Amino acid sequence: MLESLQIPGLGDSSLLGLLIFWIPFIIIMLYGQRIQMYISLGEISRSLNKLKLMKEKSREEVIDFVSKISQSKENLSEKIDQFLEYFTIQPVNLDPAGIVKKIEHIVNVKDDRMRAEIKQLVSSATDVQTSNIENVIEVASALNYYYKAVRHFYLLGKKTMSYIWIVQLQMILPTILEESNALMKAISAFKQSQPIGDGIGAMVVGKMMIGKEKKTVAKETAMSESEYKGRGLYLIKAEGPGGNVGQPGNAIARMIDEMGIKIDVIIMIDAALKLEGEKTGEIAEGVGAAIGGIGVERFKIEEVASKYNIPLYAIVIKQSIIDAVSAMKKEIAETTDKVIEIVKRAVEEKAKEGDKVAVVGVGNSVGISQ
Amino acid sequence: MSAITGMKKSSKSVVYTIEECASCGLKTKRDFQSGDYVYKEGGGCTKCKGKTMINMIYSEKVEK
Repeated sequence: MLESLQIPGLGDSSLLGLLIFWIPFIIIMLYGQRIQMYISLGEISRSLNKLKLMKEKSREEVIDFVSKISQSKENLSEKIDQFLEYFTIQPVNLDPAGIVKKIEHIVNVKDDRMRAEIKQLVSSATDVQTSNIENVIEVASALNYYYKAVRHFYLLGKKTMSYIWIVQLQMILPTILEESNALMKAISAFKQSQPIGDGIGAMVVGKMMIGKEKKTVAKETAMSESEYKGRGLYLIKAEGPGGNVGQPGNAIARMIDEMGIKIDVIIMIDAALKLEGEKTGEIAEGVGAAIGGIGVERFKIEEVASKYNIPLYAIVIKQSIIDAVSAMKKEIAETTDKVIEIVKRAVEEKAKEGDKVAVVGVGNSVGISQ
Repeated sequence: MSAITGMKKSSKSVVYTIEECASCGLKTKRDFQSGDYVYKEGGGCTKCKGKTMINMIYSEKVEK
């Protein structure tokens, strides 16, 4: 049978050999990259559909949440869509000197505008509900942006048939999908005002503030005075139980510069992203300003610490990005008492009797009072 | 069993509220209810009638 398929003049090679080896080989040599590109485009398209579903679901969740609070029958979707499309133009960085102040100004304008418009839309909302609506809108807005950005590069890659565009997008997509899944979980936590993993720093300091008088030292930032073994403690966290992050940088700067409090040591407690292989809820100690975000608060704390030569110590609780934005896991919540003990030990070791120590609990205070 | 059959047991996360009595230290675990927040004063203690406080709210995976 095989002999009958032999091609005259081609020696030992057969037509079957030609079919199963040489033709695919030539096709792969000539069109391999194009085939790979179509496979990649197919994968991106499937991921894009998932992002689209998440974007639409988050939009519906926001509309449902706002409608329930406002108890209004009017159509809120147009206003919510407007919120989701809000953008912030970062200041020009050609001359970076003084850029942090400009960033802070832009961010404050954005926050104030958003808050005012939410209050206008849902006049009956309490401060806690307003913060939670703001958080939910921010999450939905991020999902909306992720979808649009991925769609942009997908369509650009498809239009130009550029392998580089497509492969880069394909490589980064698992991370984008992971973050999008985390954001979807965050919506549920914010809607129900449940503490999220990121709030562990606020939870630790909040516990130390129980029963003590609270003052507002900066926007949405509470401070209490306490004492431990002859050392004065200034406990600072974002005001809860609304979803605020406060302004710990402004709080410390104001305490030192305006209120005349001489701080000798700053201890910061925050959630930190764990590396793959590290356990959720692992506690680590270090030095420096433990605070994330856009960088304004960190800059201010570093500025004031270096100006007055105040040592900065950090205690972090490790977690993944999903843990950080979804309802707080048991392993994270259970570190509260251990971290308080570490703070007490650090106060004793790093400060002398009579010294004043600022203990800053960094993180979103959703579902966490003080 | 799941390891033998190679089947994955599905699990979902449930959010719990932990209340602790300031007097006797009794801890009670219940499902999260709307309006709960950490360090909120809770109801009376079932053991000593002392004041309780919510000291933790966390999510835990439960197998379905």
